[in-house]
Amino acid sequence: MAISRRNLLKTGIAAGAAFSIPSVLRAQTAATEARTVRMSMSGIPSIFDPVITVSQTTTDHAAAIYDTLFALDSKFMPQPQMVGKWGASDDKKTYTFELRDGLGWHDGNSVTAADCVASIRRWGQVDPGGQLIMERASDISKKDDKTFTIALKEPLGLLPNLLANLLYVMREKDADKPATEAVTTNIGSGPFKFNQAAARPGASLTYDRNDKYLPRQEPVDGLAGGKVVKVDRVIWENIGDAQTAIAALQAGEIVFYLTPPADLFPAIESDPNLELQVLYKHGQDFFLRINCLQKPFDNLKARQAMLHLVDQKAFLQILSSNQKYTNTVTSFFGSGNPVSNDENTGWFKKGGDPEKAKQLFKEAGYAGEKVVILQPTDWSDASNTSQLLADALRKIGIDSELAPSDWSGLVARRSNKNAIENGGWSIFITSDTDFARGEPMTTSHLALNGEKAWYGWPQNDEYEALRAKWADVETVDERKALARKMQGIAWDYVPEVLLGQFTAPIARRKTLTGLIGMPDIVPMWNMEKA
Amino acid sequence: MAGYILRRIVSTIAVMALVGIFVFLLLRLAPGDPAAMIAGRSATEEMIAGIREQLGLNDPMPVQFMRWVRDMLGGDFGTSIFAGRPVLELISQRLEPTLSLSILTMILSVTVGVSFGIFAAWRTGGLVDRLLTAFSAFGYSVPVFVIGYFLIYFFAIKTHWLPVQGYVEIERGLGPWFEHLVLPTVALSLGFIAFIARVTRASMLEVLSEDYMRTAAAKGASSYAMLFHHALKNAGVPILTVIGISFAYLIGGVVLTETVFNIPGIGRLVVDAINNRDYPIIQSVLILTSGLYVLINLAVDLAYTLIDPRIRY
Repeated sequence: MAISRRNLLKTGIAAGAAFSIPSVLRAQTAATEARTVRMSMSGIPSIFDPVITVSQTTTDHAAAIYDTLFALDSKFMPQPQMVGKWGASDDKKTYTFELRDGLGWHDGNSVTAADCVASIRRWGQVDPGGQLIMERASDISKKDDKTFTIALKEPLGLLPNLLANLLYVMREKDADKPATEAVTTNIGSGPFKFNQAAARPGASLTYDRNDKYLPRQEPVDGLAGGKVVKVDRVIWENIGDAQTAIAALQAGEIVFYLTPPADLFPAIESDPNLELQVLYKHGQDFFLRINCLQKPFDNLKARQAMLHLVDQKAFLQILSSNQKYTNTVTSFFGSGNPVSNDENTGWFKKGGDPEKAKQLFKEAGYAGEKVVILQPTDWSDASNTSQLLADALRKIGIDSELAPSDWSGLVARRSNKNAIENGGWSIFITSDTDFARGEPMTTSHLALNGEKAWYGWPQNDEYEALRAKWADVETVDERKALARKMQGIAWDYVPEVLLGQFTAPIARRKTLTGLIGMPDIVPMWNMEKA
Repeated sequence: MAGYILRRIVSTIAVMALVGIFVFLLLRLAPGDPAAMIAGRSATEEMIAGIREQLGLNDPMPVQFMRWVRDMLGGDFGTSIFAGRPVLELISQRLEPTLSLSILTMILSVTVGVSFGIFAAWRTGGLVDRLLTAFSAFGYSVPVFVIGYFLIYFFAIKTHWLPVQGYVEIERGLGPWFEHLVLPTVALSLGFIAFIARVTRASMLEVLSEDYMRTAAAKGASSYAMLFHHALKNAGVPILTVIGISFAYLIGGVVLTETVFNIPGIGRLVVDAINNRDYPIIQSVLILTSGLYVLINLAVDLAYTLIDPRIRY
């Protein structure tokens, strides 16, 4: 069949019309998109209960829809949030909290003191800070609809700080569930409402502004102050592929991308509409966790050798090709916290000190025992640094071996306390926020309490005695003094070794402003979209 | 015919049972723990232990297996460990994007691929044949993500004609639905077009060299009649076979395309479920897709009888 010019023209017009229809529809929906913020976070949660999991996505979800009794300001000091008036008795053993006016659940009911009591009790079963409160509390009960008290067996100066740490208040009927059974109702009293009807599990989640939310009057300061929502809707898109997420950002389909990989920074920096921004400037501290129960690291000298072996600069080059976003970190309590200090950090040397490490292994009586490093192949940062560590150990004559698996496999194996030949392990690499290192009462891996400790099971009674005091003291200066002593012991004992700090920037369109930079959470209030 | 269908259905059930046992054992024997994945990276042993108990993962393996089989026979495919929602509900939500992408891909691939194949066979050795052969090699060898990124760059970022990513349900309008599927369909189709074109060309060449085709030509049959009435029908069995296999493959595994274009389909559901060790989802999807695979093959086998009366069951 010959193709005539007329047929070609008709086909062209038809094809043009077909392609233009979607564009017209897109233009029609532009008005409703203007006050909608589309974000790509680090995935989207499938567990929505912040008591069940401490994963980043669930915490972000909880921060949006739930409110907190206290919240940390930009200096990490606890400030009242849902709480209005509050105070402690003269003997510091009874705290009374009164809720501020106008707090309401998304289902229309008012927030009551009974909701707060139930929430504290449920959270207190699993959160280390909550567990401490439950240990010290003789009674937690409501006095009236707006007032509740926490009565303590002995004073607990840290109480407001603990209440400010990821305690999201739920309705009493939700909080009455066992701490191991997930709450799925998503009814909070926070600045955003979860839009259940628009949710596409695994694909996208939608949050609408809670028009009835009454923000505090104080200006926003960290997570504290007035949570003022300046957009109508926030949609989290689950974009699994980094290249696609950047393309969507460039095309304006999303305006925020939480985790751009370092190799795509140049593409973002070269686009005049986009910007990289470090929200929390102290980022993540990477560290290697040591199994203190098994050879060779049951020996103090072998653990100390690891401090001298690590060249943080080398590890940081693996964590980010752009050194602008990395820092060395030497304090056991992180680099950006009020209690960070330089006590007992003489081991730090640029480039490490492999000869010293070799000598310490010798003094430890190292006899060729195999060192098994658990390598999570589905987490490139930890996987690549594991390979560098294995190489560094081999170079000083240590028989190191990588045990590759995905993160789930690593988690299954790291609870094994047995020797290597019986499925045990020696080292794994992980990370935590720098902020978490500033709170030894709530951060599991900062405890050195043996069998009860986090994986690796370090034990040092002297350190633990000081850690116990941490909860009692009230001032930052007192905690600073304690931190120096604890750090002196910790870097002699060496439960873990710091590998450096990565301050991962987010990528955003320049039209999105007002982002709050705090650890653990990406708050959605205060943002504005031009 | 009825006996043949019955035998195939019985064998399908047997295959699915074997797949079920294999998948269940494989998942349980592989390292990893959904409770640990739920609890998060910094979780304590107590948190993980509590979740394991809650999920029934501490029960002996035979107990877990029998519970799964019993529930499945009752039509209950379980609840997602992570999402806390019925697995069938999650699968049905993900079915539409995958089916949409698969059907559009098959329509484009079959239309273009068969046309290319016929034309190349008809003009074998000529410039068009050589060009189509080169295209087939290109379509085969270039990974879908390379084509995908290329299309995104030109048609989404540079020109803003089409969206970069995402999926819009068909109920929200044919236009937006189609708009979001154009690029992934084109990216995914190239390989299938190449595959179908090559099989069609080879099959057509074989038929075109048969004596009866020469007879038809000698009797003055038109090119159209020779190609479409005589040759294509007799070359149809292998073409139909590859179309069937391709369709079944598409439904079961368009993971890369779904990832590149951020389409929330079955492929991404399974990948996420594997990463999270969400056993009920993995088991159910594998059982259902293996059943679908067998049924599509049965449909293809039965379709042979329509295009070739010599085939009887």
